[in-house]
Amino acid sequence: MSDARAPDTGRRIALVDVNCFYASAERAFDPSLEGRPLVVLSNNDGCAVTRSPEAKALGIPVGEPWFKIAPRAKEWGLVARSSNYELYGDISSRVMELLGRYSAWLEVYSIDEAFLGVKGTPDELLLLGQTIKGAVRRNIGVPVCVGIATTKTLAKLANKWAKNNPGLNGVCHWDAMPAQAREALMGRLSVIELWGVAGRLTKRLNGLGIHSILDLANADPVRIRDRFSVVLMRTVMELRGTPCIPMEEERVGRDQLIVSRSFSTPITTAADLRQVMSVYAQQASARLAKHGLQATVLTAFAGTSHYNPLDPSYPSVCVTLPMPTADPVLLTRASHALLPRIQEGIKYVRAGIMVTDLRPTGRQSPLPVFAKPHEERGIGTLLEDISRRYGRGSVGLGHAGIRGGPDWSMQRTMLSPRYTTNWDELPLVRAA
Amino acid sequence: MGIVIGPRVIDAGTSLLSVLISPVRVAAGYPSPAQDYFDGRIDLNEHLIKDITSTYVVRVSGDSMEGAGISDGDELIVNRALDPKDGSVVIAVLDGELTIKRLRITPSGVVLQADNPRYPDIRVPALSDLVIWGVATRCLHHV
Repeated sequence: MSDARAPDTGRRIALVDVNCFYASAERAFDPSLEGRPLVVLSNNDGCAVTRSPEAKALGIPVGEPWFKIAPRAKEWGLVARSSNYELYGDISSRVMELLGRYSAWLEVYSIDEAFLGVKGTPDELLLLGQTIKGAVRRNIGVPVCVGIATTKTLAKLANKWAKNNPGLNGVCHWDAMPAQAREALMGRLSVIELWGVAGRLTKRLNGLGIHSILDLANADPVRIRDRFSVVLMRTVMELRGTPCIPMEEERVGRDQLIVSRSFSTPITTAADLRQVMSVYAQQASARLAKHGLQATVLTAFAGTSHYNPLDPSYPSVCVTLPMPTADPVLLTRASHALLPRIQEGIKYVRAGIMVTDLRPTGRQSPLPVFAKPHEERGIGTLLEDISRRYGRGSVGLGHAGIRGGPDWSMQRTMLSPRYTTNWDELPLVRAA
Repeated sequence: MGIVIGPRVIDAGTSLLSVLISPVRVAAGYPSPAQDYFDGRIDLNEHLIKDITSTYVVRVSGDSMEGAGISDGDELIVNRALDPKDGSVVIAVLDGELTIKRLRITPSGVVLQADNPRYPDIRVPALSDLVIWGVATRCLHHV
């Protein structure tokens, strides 16, 4: 069980994530895809970014170009879908809000995963894990796995184990596993399987004789800090059961960017949150510009404190942007869609935005004179000045301007309907 | 709880039914706490949807539920959080398709019925043999 030296308060961290998220979101509205090999393709239908278990079983590697899969699709009975980010964004929002009902502390980690603060005996927490898993499957329609442990790193590991071990029925509590089984598992898995350990780091670790996760857990934390970084030392501590990875405030993933933060003083009004959202939107804009990316979907969310479990509130909203953009003005406006969902008077201690469906800016190939982002050129103040001088409406943002413009070049030939965000594309139910 | 849903989903509140009504008068001594928040318009989300996180809107294709007042092209509000009961109008997965039927749970078994005599009943041994996608709570019938 847990470390005998530390009094066990029963506090744990649960990592909940949706299995093969994009593929599962597609299946939620098209049951004919159930049980068939399914791949979801990247922008421009380039390569497979998500594979259903059946597609993985066919040996299709992640990132496999579609032109290599396509010739055998028919023979395999394989179905491909273009990325439907509006659908994924909305389903993600729903999942996060549902998870908020089970914990007063929720950290949205990515589009399809969140950390939850939970408390209880191993038996109680295994039951809670099953309850959460059942509720997300039933109420939203997608399958999740739950990993529970004392630290985020171990919760990630437990989650991975739950995914790869059907006997656990999707829920793994690290402390409920016999110590021997935990050690055996950590001894079997390479450090590269570990959360936050990249390929290059693995090579250097191997050079020091650290191959398995167990090797790293047994390494001297100080030595690891001196040879590598404080970040990796934290991983070692976490593997030993000491929580020390704080909430990350900014993350750029493969196809998403998150800016979120906790406030020192709670925010209780939509007016104040409006300012916060504006700041985040501008940060996200700057990060996108730095990476040469644009987004088409924005999710804004907020949450109450886990110290105040009386009025839990985890509003979340998903907005489709009018075009692929990194424009601070458009992102800010989109983030403000959260404000009507804010309950006045409730103490919000966290908020954030996530942008998805990232794609290179280059696709629009702007003229050099227009290439710089708005904020660097003081567009906001310029608009304000012109409006003051010539009246409201005399100037506005050109939604069809040269910088953005409709994304004609994007190929999404296998796109499913926007089932939950577009009135003309609702799921059809057969009355026959 | 906060509310989560894409802003373009079912925001019929302002465009579809912007009905202006007066605050309801209540007997002296029982002021409605809701009156403080009255903003003059009916919000359909609030009245038609109990659990917006678990609710989807679907569109009907076909005439097998005419008897229930559900016609081809109508929209249905479907709550996935509800337990299907005897008599519920459900969306069931049949042959890989979302299909609307009336659920009958009888001592002799479970039956999926159409509310139109032209379509035969479908019998299933037990409820667990069925995949119920959700329970319809409202029909937005086109009049």
